[in-house]
Amino acid sequence: MRPEIESLIKEERNKHTASAASNENKTDITALTRRSFLKVSALATGGMCLGVTLPAAKSHGKTAAADFSPNAFIYLESNGNLMVKSGRCEMGQGISTALPSVVVDEMEANWDYVRVEQAEGDIDKYGSQATGGSASIRTQYIPMRKAGAAAKEMLIAAAAKVWPADPKDCYAENHFVIHKPTGKKLGYGELASIAATMPVPEEPTLKSSKDFKYIGSYLPRHDVGMVIQGKRTYGVDTIVPGMQYAAIVHCPVLDGKLKSLDKSEAMKVEGVTAVVEVDRMKVPFGSLGGVAVVANNSWSAQQGVDKLKIEWDRGANGSYDTDSYMQMLVDNVTQPAEKMAERGNVEGAFNKAAKTLSAVYTQGHLVHSPMEPNASVVHVQDDRCDVWASTQSPDDIQSVLSQFLGIDKKNVHVNVMIAGGGFGRKFKCDYVQEAAAISKAVGTPIKLIWTREEDTRTGYYHSNSAQRVEASLDEDGNVTGWLHRIAFPSINTLFTPGIERAPANAVADLESHPFGISNYRSESGKAPAHTRIGWYRAVYAIFYGFSHGVFADELAEQAGVDTVTMLNRIYDNNENKAQAEQVARSKAVLELAAKKSGFGKPLPKGEGLGIAVHYSFQTYVAMAVHVRMKGDDFEVVRVDSAVDCGQVLNKDGATAQQEGAVAMGISLSKYCEIKFKDGAVVTSNFHDYPVMRITDMPEVHVHFVESDASPTGLGEPGMAPFAPALSNALYQASGKRHRSLPIKA
Amino acid sequence: MSKSITVNGVKYPIDVPEDMPLLWFLRERLEFTGTKFGCGKGLCGACTVHVDGNATRSCVMPISAMAGREITTIEGLSENADHPLQKAWLEVGVPQCGYCQAGQIMNAAGLLNNNSSPSSEEIEAAMQGNICRCGTYQRIKKAVAMAADELAKEVS
Ligand code: FES
Ligand code: FES
Repeated sequence: MRPEIESLIKEERNKHTASAASNENKTDITALTRRSFLKVSALATGGMCLGVTLPAAKSHGKTAAADFSPNAFIYLESNGNLMVKSGRCEMGQGISTALPSVVVDEMEANWDYVRVEQAEGDIDKYGSQATGGSASIRTQYIPMRKAGAAAKEMLIAAAAKVWPADPKDCYAENHFVIHKPTGKKLGYGELASIAATMPVPEEPTLKSSKDFKYIGSYLPRHDVGMVIQGKRTYGVDTIVPGMQYAAIVHCPVLDGKLKSLDKSEAMKVEGVTAVVEVDRMKVPFGSLGGVAVVANNSWSAQQGVDKLKIEWDRGANGSYDTDSYMQMLVDNVTQPAEKMAERGNVEGAFNKAAKTLSAVYTQGHLVHSPMEPNASVVHVQDDRCDVWASTQSPDDIQSVLSQFLGIDKKNVHVNVMIAGGGFGRKFKCDYVQEAAAISKAVGTPIKLIWTREEDTRTGYYHSNSAQRVEASLDEDGNVTGWLHRIAFPSINTLFTPGIERAPANAVADLESHPFGISNYRSESGKAPAHTRIGWYRAVYAIFYGFSHGVFADELAEQAGVDTVTMLNRIYDNNENKAQAEQVARSKAVLELAAKKSGFGKPLPKGEGLGIAVHYSFQTYVAMAVHVRMKGDDFEVVRVDSAVDCGQVLNKDGATAQQEGAVAMGISLSKYCEIKFKDGAVVTSNFHDYPVMRITDMPEVHVHFVESDASPTGLGEPGMAPFAPALSNALYQASGKRHRSLPIKA
Repeated sequence: MSKSITVNGVKYPIDVPEDMPLLWFLRERLEFTGTKFGCGKGLCGACTVHVDGNATRSCVMPISAMAGREITTIEGLSENADHPLQKAWLEVGVPQCGYCQAGQIMNAAGLLNNNSSPSSEEIEAAMQGNICRCGTYQRIKKAVAMAADELAKEVS
C-alpha cells in the first residue's frame, strides 16, 4: 500500500472490523490422560476447559483414523463466557450453531453467553475435520450432549463444595447452580475454576427430550449479526502482510499439456510481477495444471491472464463430447451390462408378469458454483506453510501440501475460514495447492482467486448418467421384479484412474433402497471418465432419487392407481425385516407430504401436483411439488417437504436446509448442465450456465416428523425428491413425461 | 490534482489503474471486504454497492467513472447495524453461507431508496439480479417486505 492513505485506511478499517483480539485460551492438552472421552483442565486465565473425544466421522468413502485425544473443546471462563470450539467446517449448513446448541442445552447454560469458534485445521488435535456426507450431526450428537451434561454435573459438584451442600439438593438453570432448600445461587463463571478440579463423571445423566430448551427450537445462526454488516470473513477475504494476488487459467482438458506460452503481453500489464506455470499434480485433489499471473492486485492479475497467449496440447481426452457420450451411456444401459448385485429371480418375475414397463432416465454433468469462487491465501516458507482457506476438508489440504512441498503435515498450518458455499466442491483442494505452487515460485504469500469462468470450467463434475429401469407387475398391480441398469463415470475414477464403469460401491444405494423389490438385479454399463468427477451435494441420491421417483409414478399409471397408493403398495410388499424401520419411516413422510399438500385434490387445467420420496444419508424426505404451466414454460407454485431426520436440532437451520435443497433442486431440474466439446467445458459464467433466481422461488413449507430418534443429517437429503416430484407434477399438468434432467419444457 | 472518491463518508484519492473496477479498489486497495466477488461480469449481484444512493454492480464499474461519487458499502449502510433491512434480516434469519448477503441487502436498500412500499412483484423484479446459491430467496422476500413495512411506519 502506498503511504499517503495508509493511515486513513487503517483508521477506517478498525472502525469496521470486529475485534481481532484472539481469545484463544491456551491449555495443555498433552498433559491430559487418554482414558476417558472427556478430559478436564484448568485455564491459565481462570476457568475450565473440557475436551471431548468425538468419534471419527466416516464421510464420502474416507474413514479417519481412530483417535482418542479430545477433538472438541468447551471453555468456560471465569466471567461466565462459554466458548465451544469444534472442527466441523461451516459452509452455510449451520453446523457451527447446531452442535454447540446441544452442549449448551445439556449444560443448562444460557445461549447469550456462548461464542462459537471454528477450530484451525489440525488433524492431530481435532481428528478428521472432513465435512461431507451429512455426517456431522449423526456422529457427534450423543458425545456433545454427554459433554454438556458432564460439565453441568461438575458445576453442581463445585457449588455443593463451596456452600457446602449435598449435590442432590442442587440443580442447574440458566447459567446458575441453585440450592433448592435455600434458593442460594452461584453463577457458572464463579464456579468455573472450582469445577475444573472436580472429577469428570464417566456416565453423566442426559436430559429427557421433553425438557430440551434449545434442541429442537428455532435458534438463529450465531453469525447472522456479522453477515449483515459485511464482517464475516471468508477465505477470499483473507489479508496477510506482504501478500501478492494471483489469477489462473487452467488447461481446458483433463491430462492435456501446455504446448506453448507467450507471456510478453501479460508482463506489460501495470501491476503484474510474474507469470508462473503451475504443473498438473497427479493426485485426486491436486491442480489440473495451468498458468498463473501474479500482480499487486487481482484485477491486474486477471487482465494479465487474459493477455497470455497459450496453446494447449489437448491429449487423449481432447475428443470428449457430452452429446455423443450421453448417446453411448444410453446405449450401454439398453443392452445387458455387468452384474453388480442380485436377489431373487428377476427373469422369473418378468416371465410371469401381467405387464412389464421400462424407461430410461438421464442427467447431464453439474458444477457446484458456490457463490464464493475457489480462493485461498497460502504462504510457503522453507520448512512451513500457512494456509487460509474456505474448505470442507483441512485434512486433505495438510496431506496434499505436505506431499507437494515435501514437508511434514504438522508444518502445514491450516486456518479454516467459513466457506461461501461448498456443496462438495471445497472438499477438493486443488485451488489451495495451486496457491502453494505460486507462493513457492515467487516467495511471497499469495492470494489466488479463481474467476467464475475457471470455477465453471475446472470443476469436479457431478456424473452425467443414464439409467434404465425395467419392472414387472402382477395381475393385482404389485411390482414383482426390478432390473436397474446404470452407466455413469464414477467418482472412483479420481482415486483409481482408468476404472471403466461405476463399481459396486456406487451402486450400493440401489440394492439397499427401501423399495426392497424381492426379485432384483443391478447392472453397471461401461462409462470411462474423461473429466474429473466429484461429489455434488447429495451425490448419487440426485439421479437415483430421480429414477425411483419418476418410475414409481409411471408404475402407478400402469396399475391405474395414484402415486401414493403405488408407493405404499411397494413398501408394504418389502419382505426384508431388516428394512421395516426404513419402510415405516418412508411411508410416514410420504403420508405427511401428501396430507399437507392436499395430494389428490382436483386442480385447474394446466396445473399438477407430483410427489416423490427418498431415503438418503439416513434421513427421509418426501416432497410434493405443485406446478402451473405458463405456455411452454412452467412455474413451481408451492413445495411441501416432509422430513424425518430423527430429533431435529435446530428447526430454523433444518428448515433453511430444505428451502435451500428446493432452490438447488429447481436449478438442476430447470437450468443446469455442463456440456463438453473437444474435451473442454463450453459454458463459463451465469449467463450461459444459469442457476435459479428469486423469480423462480416457490413457497416452501417444511414439515418435520416429531421424533426423538437420534438425529441424522440435513445438508443433502432434501435434494433427492424434488426433481422427480417436479417431473411427476409436469406430467399431470401437461401430459408430457420428462425423463431427462435438466427438464426442457 | 488527483481524483478522489468518497466511500462510507470518507474521501480517498484514486491511485489505481483507471480501468480497475470499483470492486477491486474497495476490496483490495481500501480493504473493505464486505463487498464480494461472485462473477465479475455483472451477472450475480454479489458486488452490489450504492453509488450516490443507487444500487450498482461494482465489478463492472471502472474506478475512473467514480471520481467525485459517493459510495456506500455494506460496512457503511448504517451506524449500528440498525437499517430496517438489517433488522429484518436478523429477525427472519436470512443468511445461510452469507456470501451473497451483502449484495442482497445493498440491492434491496437501493430498491427501498427509490420505492419505499414495493409490491411483492416489484421486490422480485428488483432482486432478480442477485443470485443466492444457498437458496435463501423465500426469506429474502419476507425480510424485504418486513423492512418496507417498518419504513412505512417510520414515515407515517
Ligand atoms: S460480482 Fe459483480 S455482479 Fe457478480
Ligand atoms: S447465503 Fe449462501 S449464497 Fe446466499
